[in-house]
Amino acid sequence: MTPLLHLQDLSVDLPLGGLFSRGKALNILAGITLDLPRGQTLGLVGESGSGKTTLARAILGLQPSSGTMLFDGKPLASRSDYRAIRRRSALMFQDAAASLSPRMNVEQAITEPFTIHREPMGRRRDRAAELLAEVGLPAAFAARFPHELSGGQARRVGVARALALKPELVIADEPTAGLDVSVQADILNLMADLKERHGLSYLVITHNLALIRHVADRIAVLYLGRLVETGPTAEIFAVPAHPYTQSLIAAEPKPDPRKRRADLAIQGEIPGVLRRPRACEFHTRCPLAQEICRQDEPVLRTIAPGRQARCHLIEEKTLNRETTDELDHQSPQLS
Amino acid sequence: MPSDAEIAPAEPARQGRERRAAGRVLHRSSLRVLLRDPMGALGLILVVTFVGMAVFAPWLAPYDPLKLDVMNKFQPPSWAHPAGTDQLGRDLLSRIIYGARTALSIALTSVGLAGIGGLILGMIAGYGPRWLDGILVLIFDSVSSLPMIMLALAVITIIGPGTDTLILVVVTVSIPAYARLIRAQTLGMAQSDFIVAERAMGASGARILIRHLLPNVVGPLVILLSMDVPIVIMLEAGLSYLNLGVRPPTPSWGNILYDGYTSLRSAPHMVLIAGLPLVLSTLGFTFLGEGLRDALDPKLVKGGA
Amino acid sequence: MSEAVLNVEDLALSYPGGVQALRGVSLQVRPGEVLGIAGESGCGKSTLASAMISLLSSGAEITGGAVYLRGENLMALSERDRRRLRGREIAMVFQDPLTAFNPVLRIGEQLVDFQVNAEGSSREKRRRAAAMLSKVGLEPDLALSRFPHELSGGMRQRAAIAAALLMRPAVLIADEPTTALDVTMEAQIIHLLRELQAEVGCAIVIVTHHLGVIAELCDRVAVMYAGEVVEVAPVDDLYHDPLHPYTRALLSCDPSALVEHTGHLPTIGGRLPDLADPPPGCAFAPRCPLASESCATPPPRVRPAPAREVLCHKVAP
Repeated sequence: MTPLLHLQDLSVDLPLGGLFSRGKALNILAGITLDLPRGQTLGLVGESGSGKTTLARAILGLQPSSGTMLFDGKPLASRSDYRAIRRRSALMFQDAAASLSPRMNVEQAITEPFTIHREPMGRRRDRAAELLAEVGLPAAFAARFPHELSGGQARRVGVARALALKPELVIADEPTAGLDVSVQADILNLMADLKERHGLSYLVITHNLALIRHVADRIAVLYLGRLVETGPTAEIFAVPAHPYTQSLIAAEPKPDPRKRRADLAIQGEIPGVLRRPRACEFHTRCPLAQEICRQDEPVLRTIAPGRQARCHLIEEKTLNRETTDELDHQSPQLS
Repeated sequence: MPSDAEIAPAEPARQGRERRAAGRVLHRSSLRVLLRDPMGALGLILVVTFVGMAVFAPWLAPYDPLKLDVMNKFQPPSWAHPAGTDQLGRDLLSRIIYGARTALSIALTSVGLAGIGGLILGMIAGYGPRWLDGILVLIFDSVSSLPMIMLALAVITIIGPGTDTLILVVVTVSIPAYARLIRAQTLGMAQSDFIVAERAMGASGARILIRHLLPNVVGPLVILLSMDVPIVIMLEAGLSYLNLGVRPPTPSWGNILYDGYTSLRSAPHMVLIAGLPLVLSTLGFTFLGEGLRDALDPKLVKGGA
Repeated sequence: MSEAVLNVEDLALSYPGGVQALRGVSLQVRPGEVLGIAGESGCGKSTLASAMISLLSSGAEITGGAVYLRGENLMALSERDRRRLRGREIAMVFQDPLTAFNPVLRIGEQLVDFQVNAEGSSREKRRRAAAMLSKVGLEPDLALSRFPHELSGGMRQRAAIAAALLMRPAVLIADEPTTALDVTMEAQIIHLLRELQAEVGCAIVIVTHHLGVIAELCDRVAVMYAGEVVEVAPVDDLYHDPLHPYTRALLSCDPSALVEHTGHLPTIGGRLPDLADPPPGCAFAPRCPLASESCATPPPRVRPAPAREVLCHKVAP
């Protein structure tokens, strides 16, 4: 079956304006190859500055990019292609309240997609009430303005608007950032319900690993605009292959005082795109970095069925052995 | 299951009432905020008074402002002539009332035309292609580098003094200032999440400009326009005082001021009476502008009230 | 048990509109301990943090109780005397470190300025600032000459911590110190606070909604709900034997606490009570699975173990 979304070697370069740097460009993303199968959730993980949000915007054509993108098997190239993908997809923002037009009330905001795409919606008020009910808000919310909503409410309104035209793809940028844990759980459950009910596919962008572990079928880890690891969520969390993935997982504070970490998994911070390290981007922070990492650029390669990583130091054997070790551990009768 | 924490009605009392109001710049609740502020209320009262004077001048004025009565020149204020008479015996109150008509028609026309021009050009510069923005900014900068008074004098020399000349000068000089404000507002807002959200939903450029950017950028412009009206009134008075503006005998506050100044010794009341409307209208429009600053903020209008 | 360095006694505080943000909070901070204050937005944890350093937002009104810093009642002191204590005895780090610095002055100048009440020449003060910067993991010569906006978020938070600790205060209050940071930087800041605490020996109060941060860093935890402290416990007991139903619910919602992949996460149904008109009984009762009739009366403060306190009818003493 063709995936809903297929990216092949996507890159984004920002042209540097200015009199003396005409023609120069700043590379933000390169070599992004990803598949999002229908009905699945793909998690896009990385620190701020890794290019996650840029990738989301490039998919919808909000950010010029090069490479190949196929939506439902059809290439995205012209303006009308992008109009079509925008009709069949929806973007949810990190700051849900800011993504609502400040002078539009909720009713107008969530029915706007119908107006934009000239889709029949029946009575505006009924349609708004229906959408609000779908996300668990009373119909009276239709009259509120964005600044009258709490964080969780704005998030729900954002979901309602995203659902308006029954999209196939929903791109959610940090869907629960800034929310309390109980509200976060509410929103994630709502998203899971809707996925089931409407057969949605999600692309969830986040730096919150605990969250992505529960919502994503597959994850893709980005570092400084490069894909460093992709694979099934459970496998990556069980045996992270790339040193960056390992340190991200190790850095997440565990809500258990008995599992306190003695030392740091990762030092320093992500270098800016203006100071992109040569060869392997991660070598400046990698605990395992060797000479080859400073000399040669690694390529994204398959390291196990369904898994890819971009690191010189992973050998297929090592990973396989580790996986087998895990299996052995779980089922001693095999050995 | 959604928790009720998220769906608690925060302000049940307000629901429904403002539904129709959204999208418009000024609506009933804005007016309420404006009137709650004493300065804004005073500004509004003064402005409404002057506009009323201008509109209803023929009914309000006790005499024909042009009718001469040389026998009764330089009369001090009296029951028959509440503001006295001038050097030709014309009723000053009637001339002031008709003067409001002159002043406001020039000021509101020119500021209004300039505001519309600035709005359109500024939004095109701010949301249009970059090359067009470059050209427009260059034009704005060139025009606004000309000093207004020099330009005015030059244009008057070429096409002669009069109301139309005045309006032309004001519009030419003000458009770049308004356009720059609108351009900056538009540029800043074009990057905001809700505009990106509109684009992501597939909204067309025209829809984004008219439905989303326009209502959000027009507020600051209205404030600036209100503050600029007295400047134009002053300019008209100044040029008329110099006999370069409105031609006598048309009543204009500037002409009255000039007449009063030439007869300062024989009739000191004339200067005071001609100056008063200038001061009051300036205060009125400025206060109104200040008040609008709060009244047009959507957060103050419906939220924290 | 040693004498508390900071003692909050039955503190009650209201905001305009009658919102009772704190309703009889009692809490002790002991010398050299790391105390976590956990809770969701609107529970009053940030208000409590600002009351501890007596920096209240305008309109906030203390309606009862007191805060004692080394035996001195902060609420009774003049603003001038409080200023004398801030920095020297008690200091604060905020969520957004950019707000802690003046944008037009270099970090070095500001770190010298912060020592305005201290002894020593300005050269001595600059040396002290450099020493503290290197302690928080910044290159002192570089950081001293930078403007705040020239530092990344993580570096700014380090500089803010250096500024707070310059005068070696007895208590450091950190309000959501890692919330604005990436996980990798969050881990580094947690690590740094732990190191500094061991070295400087000050007590640290961490206010956060992030239960992972508290587990990593704290010795004791106070859980707040609707303006009250509902449970106080040593960190291990709180995570492994939570007694208050709210604590249990809060811990179970945290997705990082669940090891198994689940499609549906547990949530807390119901909603926060209106703090302008709080219920007479237990504030959590409407959302509590254990609630019964007795919960309509004010819950008792139960002490099931020497170091533990729970505000609940359903916990046996």
